[in-house]
Amino acid sequence: MFTEELKAFRRLGFRHVLLQALNFASVIASGLMIWKGLGLVTNSESPIVVVLSGSMEPAFYRGDLLFLTNPIHERYHTGDITVYKIPGADIPIVHRVLETHDAKSRGPTHNQRLLTKGDNNDVNDIELYRGLDYLERKHIVGKVRGFLPYIGYVTIAMNDFPQLKYALLGGLGLLALIQRE
Amino acid sequence: MHSVYARVNNISALLSSCVMGLLAAIALSSVVLSLFEAPLEGGQVLVKGVKVTHGRGRQYQYEHATVAFEIDADLTPLFNWNTKQLFLYLDAEYTNSKGVKNAVVIWDRIVRRREDAQIHVEGRQKYAFRDKTGFRDAAATYTLRYNVMPHVGALVYGAAGRTNGSVAFPALNSHNV
Repeated sequence: MFTEELKAFRRLGFRHVLLQALNFASVIASGLMIWKGLGLVTNSESPIVVVLSGSMEPAFYRGDLLFLTNPIHERYHTGDITVYKIPGADIPIVHRVLETHDAKSRGPTHNQRLLTKGDNNDVNDIELYRGLDYLERKHIVGKVRGFLPYIGYVTIAMNDFPQLKYALLGGLGLLALIQRE
Repeated sequence: MHSVYARVNNISALLSSCVMGLLAAIALSSVVLSLFEAPLEGGQVLVKGVKVTHGRGRQYQYEHATVAFEIDADLTPLFNWNTKQLFLYLDAEYTNSKGVKNAVVIWDRIVRRREDAQIHVEGRQKYAFRDKTGFRDAAATYTLRYNVMPHVGALVYGAAGRTNGSVAFPALNSHNV
């Protein structure tokens, strides 16, 4: 099955394999740099997120891709859609701001407390806050600015079926090593 | 050069860049369309009555406000081919006696079709409107705001109407609403 490839491998020699490995590494490194660069520009630890639950339907469905920013000097408003992460909970949540409370601020960031709610939920999120009464600015990952439907479903599929992830990674790795152009 | 792999690779690359270009064009088109659309006018928010009471039971430490309001607005200009839905919400903004600036959504509605974008609502708030400090000497401005959610592209926010001036909260009265 792979005899052809193996033959090609031998013909091209060790240097070629090394070169391909280098190419592969540079692709991964530039992906990582773009991601971290985006994080710097948007001031958000994760500037692109995939919707994982149906609590914002019909605005967002599972697998939709959201683009976030988190400008440090900007306050949040009611109606903004935020992504927040409560310490101890591993999954970030995408919900809409229902209440804002701005006390006088002493630092550069706003001393703002927020209450959120999912469009598709009947009650607000206090139950999700693990004992907190309100969200604070430090819990907020970002504000949703833009929206691209369905694209993120690939990652959900890879989470639901890990075999798919390994098959894809393995396939990509193999291709990167044996392609000859 | 002309292997199956190369061909599949070329075709899928072309296809995905075409789809991305198309999506970008659609997202841009709604920005352009919004420049030409007629401005919203005639949106009205009327607050017909506000009542302040103590919460009951575990809620006793809060003062609760009950707001009766009427909304009239025509939001049909906000619908174009890239509008998935409108999220409408009535926002109460006030500063309490401790100097904390508050904004609270007391009512909302999702509008998914152009035919439903003529809004006439007479009613009370949907969500709890409460403050631990209390509403004493405070006055709130009520604003009808919207969030246009596109099929693809940027989220847009705006206001469609507000009360004339601010509406003062009445003094705290009985426990019964």
